[in-house]
Parts: sequence; structure tokens; C-alpha cells
Amino acid sequence: MSYIIAGFILLALLCFVLLTAYRAWKYSRLPLHARLELYPVPKEGGGRARYGGSYYEESKWWSKPRTLSKANETKDILMEMLFIRKLFDNNKGLWWVSYVFHIGIYCLFAWTVMLLVSTIWPLDVHIYTAAIAGMAGYCLATLGALGLLIRRIFDTDLRSYTTPVEYFNLILILLVLISGIISWLFVCTPFFAASQILFFTGLALSPIIYIHLALLGIMLIYIPASKMSHYVGKFFAFHKVLWDNDPNSKGSQVNLHLQKAAKAAQTQKPEWLAPHTGMVAPATEQIPTSSERGNEP
Amino acid sequence: MSAAHNKLKPQNIARSAMILSPVEQLAPLPAPYDTCDKVPEFTELKPDWIDTRCASLDGFVAIDSLRRPASPEDEEEFVRSFIVAVGKLFAHHNSKFLRPLNLTVDYCAKCDTCSQACHVYQATCKQDIYRPIYRSEVLRRIYKKHYTTSGKLLGSFVGAGIDLTWESIARLAELAYRCNLCRRCAQVCPLGLDNGMLAREIRKLFSQEMGIAPSAIHEKGSMLHLNVGSTTGLTRPALLDTIEFLEEDMSELTGRKVRFPIDKEGADVLLLHNAGEFLTWPENPTAFAILFDEAGIDWTLSSESLGYDGVNYGLWYDDTQARKIALTHAGIAKKLGVSRIVIGECGHAHKALAVSANRMTSEVGVPVESNISVLAELVREGRLVFDSSKNDFPIALHDPCNVVRQMGIVKPQRDILKAIAPQFLELTPEGVNNYCCGGGSGFALMHSGNFEDFKVKVCARTKFTQIIDAFGKDFIDPALPKYVCAPCSNCKGTMRDLFKHYKTTATYQVHYGGLVELMVNALASTKTPYLEFLQ
Ligand code: SF4
Ligand code: SF4
Repeated sequence: MSYIIAGFILLALLCFVLLTAYRAWKYSRLPLHARLELYPVPKEGGGRARYGGSYYEESKWWSKPRTLSKANETKDILMEMLFIRKLFDNNKGLWWVSYVFHIGIYCLFAWTVMLLVSTIWPLDVHIYTAAIAGMAGYCLATLGALGLLIRRIFDTDLRSYTTPVEYFNLILILLVLISGIISWLFVCTPFFAASQILFFTGLALSPIIYIHLALLGIMLIYIPASKMSHYVGKFFAFHKVLWDNDPNSKGSQVNLHLQKAAKAAQTQKPEWLAPHTGMVAPATEQIPTSSERGNEP
Repeated sequence: MSAAHNKLKPQNIARSAMILSPVEQLAPLPAPYDTCDKVPEFTELKPDWIDTRCASLDGFVAIDSLRRPASPEDEEEFVRSFIVAVGKLFAHHNSKFLRPLNLTVDYCAKCDTCSQACHVYQATCKQDIYRPIYRSEVLRRIYKKHYTTSGKLLGSFVGAGIDLTWESIARLAELAYRCNLCRRCAQVCPLGLDNGMLAREIRKLFSQEMGIAPSAIHEKGSMLHLNVGSTTGLTRPALLDTIEFLEEDMSELTGRKVRFPIDKEGADVLLLHNAGEFLTWPENPTAFAILFDEAGIDWTLSSESLGYDGVNYGLWYDDTQARKIALTHAGIAKKLGVSRIVIGECGHAHKALAVSANRMTSEVGVPVESNISVLAELVREGRLVFDSSKNDFPIALHDPCNVVRQMGIVKPQRDILKAIAPQFLELTPEGVNNYCCGGGSGFALMHSGNFEDFKVKVCARTKFTQIIDAFGKDFIDPALPKYVCAPCSNCKGTMRDLFKHYKTTATYQVHYGGLVELMVNALASTKTPYLEFLQ
């Protein structure tokens, strides 16, 4: 049994990575979209990102070099990843619970890595780091997930829009967390279990640990397939949509994509049925120019 | 407001009710309008409209062309066609929107942050149907039910399914026209999702597949534009007459020679106005003529069909119309051989030609820019000389969404105002965080039925509050002229209707207009005041 669960959990980890990558690949394969940028766009350089300006603020923008600030974009991403700043700025009430939850998840990621490291390389510092990250992670993530669930149940505004599967997602996470807490507090240390899994030592583990690991595996496989994979969506929504204000200029990546899209459009006609959609644009008229009319100033 | 109206879930859009969610409460306005609209009153719809259109969402009708089916077979066909249209939205038919659309449909965390940013929702004291996610969730549920495996297998467990009848579908169509497409909600979403874009996608499926759109923006809008040359109905001969008249009249009025070069091949600049300006606010294109002349810019107008009307209503509801119009504009500039297109004071024309059209084809056409950036440069370079004391009255700047939040032009207009307006004021919030005027996405032009009431009392409410607050105690001083600078035809149209409704100009001398009129008024070379209220 322990071989099976060890294999399953390693497979689940692999699935998590591969399915996440697949999801990202699917989004990246979609055709170049219409421009939908929204300011502030943090990569705008020359101090413009601060107030939401763009290259359009300069007359004859196409003849001037673009000033881009990678540093500012990175800062914005980090602020979003580490502090969930948009939620903090616009919805503080929810930010507290969401932040506690997400920091908990980050700690659990750190814990998983340190657990593997300390299993292979059991230095004290590795073990202590893993232990601290694990304790913090379990406490914060559980508190946060509980908070999110309670808010969703008792806040009528949120409840109206919440579907059963969204409760299910939170409950699944809570079950994984709680079964983990019980396992590591009362049954055996996670270091012991990790070494068993990693080295396939095959010693018998307690049923609660099997349950925990099975739930964890299911969750790892399920996350990329569900909207809990919003870490993928968020990347595309910001980087590829809201912050993408690259103009179509000769030789640009945008231009290459558009040329490809034009070719694809020849085989896949977008047939909408309303009669006006088939109408062609009016031909330009033969209007005499000012020089032909002889009224050049 | 009765609790029932404020506790509507997305699936309740199919609920049987004469009016699903009437507007029964409006956010209070600041003094001196604090006693207005305590019990909001709206124009009664004609009984004929109630019988034949869809007034059952909130008692307003935006889509005058949407008629009830004559028979059950017609209704069945309507539902079938709608389901097909939803499918096309998520297929290659809509390739340019697949990524943003799928992201928004897949990832909404239902955190409700976006609702707090929406002026329509806030103005109605948080009425459920006006939440940015309400209409999105309705579409999401329909899409899931008919086009996803999880929706087909698991149904309501994964939030799939809405009862589809003519009534529920028509309500969704109407609901897509309760959003100004200002995308303020998208700006605050922690996941970067865009309910404004989604509202437009809903409009698109109705228009592109089912031929359903408000006549003010379709038949009398983009179709008129494509067929006659302008959404105003202005033909080329009429335009030439108007311009001739303007040259004479404005030369007389301003005491300087006003000239509108037309179809000048090889000019540096093709200036593209919203043609409504020529008819409704002729002082605006005239101001451009004066400024460009004074700065020595080599510019021209086009008299070609569509070339004298830079609007693009397709931007609000229909990609196919948007494309035809934008490509015609680009073609006209290319034919004239100009080196750049400069967009006049029309926000959505900015977005359509400078931003959206930029990725419509692979061809890199004549570059497009905003008049604001051009004028700011002229000011910076000292090519326009001002005496700012001529504008010594409170001037509040409104930021048109299309130019500011959606194009990132924030500072140049402020630089200009700092040079010409000693009493320049900001609205709060300003810049990219501004609120829509309330007329965005075509509302400024939609007057059918009682929709005007919805625009003025609901959509423009937050903007009106901002304006009153910006002028502070000066607002009520009838002896002191005040000016809302709105460099966008659409926003000006809304201000006109708003100020007329609340008698703001007549009672408190709050005026509205563009930026260029203020610039001409402050020109050192201007002898008499250019602004009518100062004359
Ligand atoms: S803010 Fe974004 S994630 Fe939250 S409810 Fe609105 S669209 Fe969904
Ligand atoms: S786009 Fe503007 S009007 Fe529409 S839902 Fe979002 S905030 Fe409200």
C-alpha cells in the first residue's frame, strides 16, 4: 500500500506540474488577441507607470524609442505575488483572509521543498526551516481557508454567486490541511513520511496518513484542471492582456503574429449570421484633391 | 428597496416578473441637489413598448429593435440562434477575443471586488443586476451548460445552466446595455479579469449573429456611417456647405481668418473629428483650425465618405462593423498620403483607430495619435502663446475613459491646463481611476423610450457628484462661471443632457466643453473671448 501511495503522490506532483504547464500552453497558443490594455501599465518607463501614462503621451510616438521599465514591471508582479496588492487596495475585508491563506500556501510550498531537501540532506538548519515553514503554512492556510469558507457562507453578496463546486474546492483544501495537521501532529513526523515516499522504503504508515496523502494527490491533480489554477490565469490576464500595449510595427512580434493570423483566417472564415456582417467596407471615392481642385492655399 | 430585488442570483434572470428589478433607490447627490430623486421618477414607457419590447429587466428599454416573438416557434428559433451565437463567441469566429474572454470566464473568483468600482452599481444603491459579475455569471452559466463537458455532466454543481426563454435572453441583451464599458471594474480585479469586455462580448453575439442592437448605434449609427458617410447623416455636399458656412461665420465672430483645408494631398496631418462636432459644437473644430493655423501645422480634413466622421460605433457592439469603419479610415489616410492621423476630441475614435485598429490587420498603416499629445507638444515648444488670465475661472477636468484609462494619455492635458487655466481643478478620483461620464459605449446617443432617464439619473450620477464636489462652495454661485473640460464628444453629449436635466447651467452657470475651446480662449492673439458664456 505504501508503495502505491508513494507512487501516487509523486505522480500527482508530476501531474500538477505538467497539467499547469499544459494549461499555460493552451492559453499561450490562443491567437493574438485584440488590444485591451488598461492603464496603469507598469512596464511603461520614464516615470509614466506611476500615474498610468503611456507612449501615446508623446507626439509622433512611433518615431521615438520606447522607454520600458522591466524593474517597475517586476516590482509590480512581486507586489501582487507577495502582498496581493490589488485586493488590498480595493477589498481590504477580503484581503485579510485571502492573504493569510495565500501566505500559508507559500509556506507550504517552502515546507515541501525543505522537506525534500532535509530528507536528502538532513542538516539541522534544513530541518528547522522545514519545521517552521510547515507549522506556519498549516496554521495560516487552514485559518485562511476557513475564513474564506465562512465568508462565502455568511456574506450574502458572495453567497449569491458561489456555486457548489466553489464550496467543494475550499472543503477539499481544508480536508487536506486538517488531515495533514492530524497526521503530522499525532501520528508521525513529516520527515519520516517524506523519506518513506522518496526512497520507497515501504514501511507501513497509519491510515490517516494514507487518507491525507490520497487527498493531497487528488488535490494536486485537480488544481490545474480547476479555477484554483488562477496563478496561470493571472499571469496571462495581466502580462498578456492588460499590460500588453505593444504596437503593431514593421518587424515586430505583434506583426508576425498578425501575419500568421491573416493566413489562418483564410481557411477559417468567421461566419456570423447577421446580414450586415457580410457587408464589405465602402470603396474609397474618387474625390478630387485640393491640388486638382486648384484651391491649394 | 425591497429585499427581493436586491437578492437576485444570476439564475433569477429567468424569474417570471413584470419587472425583475426596478430602480427604486438612487444614491443621494450632494447639495444643492440633495433633495432630488428621493423617490426616483422615470418616464413611463408607452404600453405598446412594454408589450413588444423587453422592459422586464428594470423597466428601461435600450434595445428598441428587439421585439417579442410572434409565436412559440419564433421563440424556439430565437433561443436556438442564441445558443449558437454563444458557441461562436468561444470559437474561431471570435479569435481576437478568445484569450481575454476565456480568462474571464474561467477564473472569476467571485470576490465581488469589481462591484465596488462600478458607478452603475453604486448609483443604484447596490442593485444586484448591475453588479459587473451579474451579467458575466449569466453568460458563464449558459456557456458552461451548452459547451463544456463539466457543465453537461455536472450541471448546477459546477454552476451551469439558466432557463433559456425569450424573456431571459432578452433581459441579458438589455443588461449588456446597462454597462458603460468603462472597464473600471477590470482595473480593480485582483485576477485581471474584465467584465466590461465581457459585456461587450454579449452585445457582440446579439449583434453579429442575431442582428440585435439599439437602432441608435446600429441602423442610425454604424450602418448610416457606412452607407451615407457619417452617423449624423451628414453627406459630403452637406459637409462642404457646413464648412463654408463655418469659415465665414467663425471668421466674422473671431475676427481672424478661419480656414479648413480639405482633401489636401500629402499634408502632414489628417485631422479626424467626430462629425457631430460640426453640427452640435462647431466651436470645437473651429478651435482646432485656429490652433493648427497659429502653430503652422500642415493639416487637412477629408471630405470622403467616412473620412470626415472619425467615430466608430462598432467599438461598442460589433467587431465586423468596427473593422469596416477603421479600415476605411486607414485607407482614406493612406490615399491622401498624409504622414499621420490626428484624432480630434472624441474618446472612442481614439480607442478605435489608435488602439483597436492597430491589430486588426497585419498592415502597418498611417500612424495615429491623439490631438492632446500634439497640442501639448505645441504648448511645450512655445508654438502657441497664451494669456492664462483669460481663463481665470474654475475649470474641472473630466478624463474620458477611452483616452485615459484605455490609452494612457494622462499628463499632456494636465500640462496644457496648467498653462492656460489658473483655477484648474481635478475631479476625485482622477486620471486612470476616473469615473465614466455615464454616456460611454453609446449611451450618450441612445434616447429611445425612457433610456435617457437611465443614462442621466443612474449612469451619470457619480460623475455629477464628482463635478459638484470639485467646485465645492463655488458650485452654487450663479455669478461665477464654471467649466467642465471634457475633451470627448460623447462625454460632452452626456454633460449636455445631464446639465439640462438638472438645470445646472441655467441655475449655477456650470458650463461644459472641450479643451481646445479653452486653449483658443486663452490665446494671447485672441481679441474677444472665444467662449460664448464670456462674450
Ligand atoms: S473582481 Fe475579478 S475575480 Fe473578483 S468577482 Fe470581479 S471579476 Fe471576479
Ligand atoms: S465596465 Fe464600467 S459600467 Fe461596466 S460593469 Fe465595469 S465598471 Fe460597471
